[in-house]
Amino acid sequence: MALESLSGSVPRDLTAIGTAVSVPLVQWSADSRSASVSDGDLARAIASAPPGAAQGEESELYRRFAPRVRLYGLKHLRDESDAQDLAQQVLLVVIERLRAGEVRTPDQIGSFILSTSRLLAGAGERRTRRRAHLTAQFHVADVYVTPSLDSSDLATIERCLHLLAERDRRVLLLTFYAEKSSPEIAAELGVTGTVVRVTRHRALARMRACVGLQEVRTA
Amino acid sequence: MTGTPCSAPIAFADVVDYWAGELTGADHDRIEEHVFSCDACARELADGEKLVRGIGAVARDGRLRSVVTDAILNRLAADGVRIRMFTLDGSGVVPCAVWAGDDLVVSRIRADFADADSVTIVTRLASGEEISRLADIPVRPGQREILNAFSAARLRTLPATRVSVSVSARVGSDERMLAEYTLEHGGSFDRPSGGR
Repeated sequence: MALESLSGSVPRDLTAIGTAVSVPLVQWSADSRSASVSDGDLARAIASAPPGAAQGEESELYRRFAPRVRLYGLKHLRDESDAQDLAQQVLLVVIERLRAGEVRTPDQIGSFILSTSRLLAGAGERRTRRRAHLTAQFHVADVYVTPSLDSSDLATIERCLHLLAERDRRVLLLTFYAEKSSPEIAAELGVTGTVVRVTRHRALARMRACVGLQEVRTA
Repeated sequence: MTGTPCSAPIAFADVVDYWAGELTGADHDRIEEHVFSCDACARELADGEKLVRGIGAVARDGRLRSVVTDAILNRLAADGVRIRMFTLDGSGVVPCAVWAGDDLVVSRIRADFADADSVTIVTRLASGEEISRLADIPVRPGQREILNAFSAARLRTLPATRVSVSVSARVGSDERMLAEYTLEHGGSFDRPSGGR
C-alpha cells in the first residue's frame, strides 16, 4: 500500500487525544518515505510532533508493527480475531505513549512494542476495559490488512503439501493441524523425537521453497 | 515491512520450532525480541505462519489425499469435517460411494505389515487409470492398518466403476505384495438413501 494513501486514510479523530495543532513539526514528505527511515526515527518523529500531527509516521509505525503483534497474538492467544484485536490495541497504546512523551528510548521502540504486547496479551479483562477506553478516543485506519490465504495460495500449499514424502507430510499435519508434540508424534511414528524435529524442519523448508517464499537476506 | 537485510537472521529451523511450540523459554523470547527489531525476520516468521495456517486450511477443507492417523481424523471431526469411512479387510468386494455433504473419504486398509520397512498403496480404476499412489509409507512395528484419505470432491468426479487397491511392502531389498482389495464405487449420490 502506498504511503500517501496510508496518510490520507488516517481518520481525523486520531487527533482526538491531547492538543491537536494545525502545523506538524515533522513533514512526512515524499523524500522521507524510504524504507531506510529507521523505526527509531519514526518513533522520535511521533514523539516530537504535537499530538496527532505526525499521522504519516503513525500510520507507517502501525504498518510495520501491527503484523508482528498479530503474529505474537496468534502464538500466544491462538485466535485470529484476538490476535487482530491485540495488534490494534498495542499500537494504539504505543502511539498514545509516544504522543505523551512517555517512551524514553525511541530507538528501542521494537522492544517497547513487544513489552506492550506481552502486557496486554496477558491482561485479560484489563485489556477489554482498556480497549473500550481507547476506542472511544482513537480510530485507527485500516492501514494494515491481515494477510489472507486466497484460493490460489491454498491451491499452491495443497499442491506442495502433497509433493512431500509421506512421512514429512504426516509430521506436518500432526504438528500443525492435530497439534501434537514431538514426543507424541515420535510415539505414533515409531521414531525418536529428534527424527521428528529434523523431519519437520526439512519438510517445512521444502514447503517454503515449493510455494516460492524467500529466505531472509543477510546484510 | 521493509526489505532491509538482517545481519543475524534467525534460522528457519527456529521459525519452525517457534510455531511448533518447541522452543525453550529463552529461545522463544530471543526470537520474539529479534523479530520486533528486524523487518526481514518478521517476514520470515510471517511466512512460517502462512505455511502453518495453509496446512491447517488444506486439512479443514477436506483437501487431503494422504495417509492420515486417528489423531488427524479426531481433529478433522472436531473441526466439523464430514468423513465417510470404508474398511478394507479380507476378500470380497467392498461397495462404496460418495454422498453429498461428504468432505473426506477414508479407507481403513488392514494388512499384516510385520517386517515391512515401508508400504506402497496404489489405487486404480477398472480402466487402469491410476488415481493415487502413496509410496514409502512408514509403518511401525505392530501396526495393523493404514488410513488412506481422499478428497470427496475428487471422488465425485469419478464415474461408477470398480476400483482396485494394491498394498505392497518393501522388506529389505525386496518388494512384496501384501494385499489387494476391490471396491465397487457406486458414484456420487445426493442423499444417503441413494438417489442420484
